[in-house]
Amino acid sequence: MSESPPSPDALKQLAPEQLVICHECDLLMAKMHLADGEKAQCPRCGFELYHHQANMLTRSLALVLAALLLFVPANFMPIMSLGLLGQHNNETVWSAVLALYQSEMALVALIVFLSSMLIPLLKLLCQGWVLLTLQLKLPAGFALWLYRIYHQMREWGMLEVYMFGVLVSIVKMVDLGDLSMGVGLVCFIGLLVCQIWLEATMSEHQVWEMLDELRTEQQVDEVMDEACD
Amino acid sequence: MKRAIDAGFMLCLECHAVNRQDPDNPEAGQICTRCHAPVYPRRPGSLARTWALLITAAILYIPANLLPIMVVSSFGKGSGDTIMSGVIALIHYDMVPIAIVVFVASILVPTFKLVGMGLLLYSVQRHQPLSARQRGVMYRFIEWIGRWSMLDVFVIAILVALVNFGSIAQITAGMGAVAFALVVILTMLAAISFDPRLIWDNTESEEDHDE
Ligand SMILES: [Zn+2]
Ligand SMILES: [Zn+2]
Repeated sequence: MSESPPSPDALKQLAPEQLVICHECDLLMAKMHLADGEKAQCPRCGFELYHHQANMLTRSLALVLAALLLFVPANFMPIMSLGLLGQHNNETVWSAVLALYQSEMALVALIVFLSSMLIPLLKLLCQGWVLLTLQLKLPAGFALWLYRIYHQMREWGMLEVYMFGVLVSIVKMVDLGDLSMGVGLVCFIGLLVCQIWLEATMSEHQVWEMLDELRTEQQVDEVMDEACD
Repeated sequence: MKRAIDAGFMLCLECHAVNRQDPDNPEAGQICTRCHAPVYPRRPGSLARTWALLITAAILYIPANLLPIMVVSSFGKGSGDTIMSGVIALIHYDMVPIAIVVFVASILVPTFKLVGMGLLLYSVQRHQPLSARQRGVMYRFIEWIGRWSMLDVFVIAILVALVNFGSIAQITAGMGAVAFALVVILTMLAAISFDPRLIWDNTESEEDHDE
């Protein structure tokens, strides 16, 4: 507010592209241009409006790739194993889903499957396709749709909560038997780190703007092509 | 301060693009120019939907706390653990820090969410003179923390897979786990369907009356 924003009536005259609205409190503001690494905050309610990342595309692509490579071992390799009276049991993310399903808890099994496996995977695939679209100038329409789907799934992937679940289970089980950690745990931590880093790097407002620009370009090209024919 | 709704603009909640309202029919929904999601000045039916989800969650909250979330059986003897008895057992085994984590995630957070969302809805409907900024912070906190209550559900999943030694020792999930998982999901849906802009609408209209 210190840098004297344009008056409300002046704001009304601006084009929608020059405006920002706070998601939380509906405050209308003129859009500020951000340098790399800067972020904009709502002056009324303190909500983070958007931030700007340098080399967003290549850094995000590398992180998506790393996360996808880690996905299979993180979910299908043993997170930990418990030994009791000579018997050994491995736990993987997938085997936990199966065990719940077999103990007639299909609904809980489904919830765990969705939030710890399927949605995190779909999120990565959506992010990967959107980034590839921007990098290789693929059709923007489909990527815009995918990114919307990603946005709706975002909250329902819960890898970090699962990680805490692993920690609590370790503490609960450590005195019970012969507990050991597996390769899956390392991969799972790796996957989690990649995902958190990716979400911080892949600035949403940059992605939306780039997708929008790409689509406009493609539409102009189409019109030009038709005019030539 | 100027609200977008008064200046004839509305925000797409999916992609945060600014859309212009139809001057002849400002309340009507449109399709976002950027991402093609439906956009409205305010989410239609937000309060009623949030109340419905919240009340369903509150009803399920009772079996979630009373029924066993998991059953530990060993050499033919079985004992059910409710959420609270699980926390008490952890304290008995001198695992106080973990007991606190589980207590916060499984008992404090769901309770806080149910009460907090109820208060937010009530304050929006009754024009309560609470600070809008504080309520905004409270809403963001509720929205952020909701997913962490899934902790206990994941712990159950892991233990069911890990402790599976037939008659020697076995852990199975109980019906309380189903109710609990549903409470977490319903309260998350309630937080999502609530339109936080309503919090600020009330304060604005009160200021308008003063002027
Ligand atoms: Zn705001
Ligand atoms: Zn949109």
